[in-house]
Amino acid sequence: MNKNRVKGHELGEVTCPTGFNWTNLKAELRAIWESSIKAWKIELAYPVSFLRQSVSPLIILLPFLIYGMVLVGGRYSENLERMVGTGDVVTFIFTGYVIMGFIGTAVWAMGFSIRGEQWFGTLESIFVTPTSRLSLVLGMALHSTVHQSIGTAVEFAIIYAVFGLGLKIGGILPALGIFVLMMLALYGFGILVSALSLVLKEGWIVAEGLHSIMMILSPVVYPLVVLPTVAQQASAIFPTAPALVGMRVFLIENYQPEVIGNIFLHLLALDAAWILFGILVFHLTDIYVRKKGSLEKY
Amino acid sequence: MPRNVLLQSSAKSNFFIVWSEVVKNLKFLLAYPIVFVFWAIFPIFWFIPFVLQGQAFVGGLQSPSFGEVAGTEEFIPFIILGAILNSYVLTSLYGMGESIRREAYRGTLDYILSSPCNKAFILIGKALSESFSSTLYAISQLAISILFFGMELTLGIIMPVIFIIILLILGLYGLALILAAASLRYKQAHDMAHALEYVFYVFSPVRYPVASLPLWGQIIGRLLPLTYALIAVRSLILLKQNLPAIYLEILALLIIDGIMILTGFYLFNWMEEKTKTSGTISHY
Repeated sequence: MNKNRVKGHELGEVTCPTGFNWTNLKAELRAIWESSIKAWKIELAYPVSFLRQSVSPLIILLPFLIYGMVLVGGRYSENLERMVGTGDVVTFIFTGYVIMGFIGTAVWAMGFSIRGEQWFGTLESIFVTPTSRLSLVLGMALHSTVHQSIGTAVEFAIIYAVFGLGLKIGGILPALGIFVLMMLALYGFGILVSALSLVLKEGWIVAEGLHSIMMILSPVVYPLVVLPTVAQQASAIFPTAPALVGMRVFLIENYQPEVIGNIFLHLLALDAAWILFGILVFHLTDIYVRKKGSLEKY
Repeated sequence: MPRNVLLQSSAKSNFFIVWSEVVKNLKFLLAYPIVFVFWAIFPIFWFIPFVLQGQAFVGGLQSPSFGEVAGTEEFIPFIILGAILNSYVLTSLYGMGESIRREAYRGTLDYILSSPCNKAFILIGKALSESFSSTLYAISQLAISILFFGMELTLGIIMPVIFIIILLILGLYGLALILAAASLRYKQAHDMAHALEYVFYVFSPVRYPVASLPLWGQIIGRLLPLTYALIAVRSLILLKQNLPAIYLEILALLIIDGIMILTGFYLFNWMEEKTKTSGTISHY
């Protein structure tokens, strides 16, 4: 314990690191970690709920797979092969759906992390601590990303065992790189939703709406080319569309991308745009709700 | 005093309880118009990916492979009808099952359960208001589907379809009663509702026929009221059959309804007594 801290303690004050420096960064990282640990402790207090959520990605995927296979009378679609170079509907759907859960991470887990604290009645206490509000949201993002990864691992193991998947092992690393870039942009999106949940009384409707729209505009269970032209253009503003196309290029044999352009550059631009926009809206909302005094209202 | 007691037990009083519960729930619904708009429109967005997936895999609007197991090659109306009827499942699982929890959150559950009336009528009121709002949502979704997805509906089959939907609702609210009973005792009814939703999601023929499932999956599917309701409604609308042709499905629905409702009321009354004794009614 250093001298300053002892002195601070005697005066009834706490010295806190502020500004852009290593000490402050370490403190914020600690806050993110502790926020994530807290979320895990709450989650593991309800083991049945945890178990249910772990199998949830598999359950949600199954109807898409069964429906797809019933439509083509097997696992090969001639029409799909004409469009994207591969006719394996199981591998196509799996590689698309595997990332959909992470959209839920951004929209629901991050977006409603602040709302959750409001319900528990702990938001004000957290907001008066000398840590960034974003650390709370990012802590939830960390927890939710790990949680979703567990669900995805269960999903992968079972689908691989039951149906088999034609994936290129060598493409896993670059696909993971694309996945990380996509997640960064989704984090920015999640920060935006968490800001909206502070001001909107029925924020879940906005979140569900955004989730549904993103699901339609992303080539999860169909190639982008089946969407109308306007929808194809609109899909470019969300990270999921370029990320899905990019991941499939690396993971599926003979896959022909339905969009042309540098996916890495596209995703980097979306990362910067969504993160900056998310933080800006979050900052403005934070000021607004404090000024209005509506922090604890929901 | 005896007169009051007599009045309370009369049919008029019970009707008043049901009516008050319906009015209260409708007031809540109208207080949040955005929620109403959401449920009237957004379920459409949830089946659009299935429509686009079908077009991408088949390259048109009809699938011969699908026709072999479903009886109709037109997969889009099949999906639409599945989605609309499935919205009754969602509102019954999350609506009525959660309505008891909402009373606990609002701090009104103690008052409701300690009021001098038969609680069954409160639940009937909740079920009726949920059915009313679900039907409004279903009509809206059907209208959108007719306008944008080319769904066809002849006037002659409306009454038989309504009859099937009523049978479906009865079975689902029996199930919701079981959930409401569980939420009185175990509080975390949300997880049970989710688990049940998963069973409906995978094993009922919302997006594909039951015949496309493995045998054990077909057996589970045959235990669900939605399975029979969907087979019946699709037979009427898509296959242009009449009511006598689907008498087996109607019979199955009636049996399931009877079992669900009796079990639901029995469990709810039992749990109510149990929670009153343990003093945990208002806990959440």
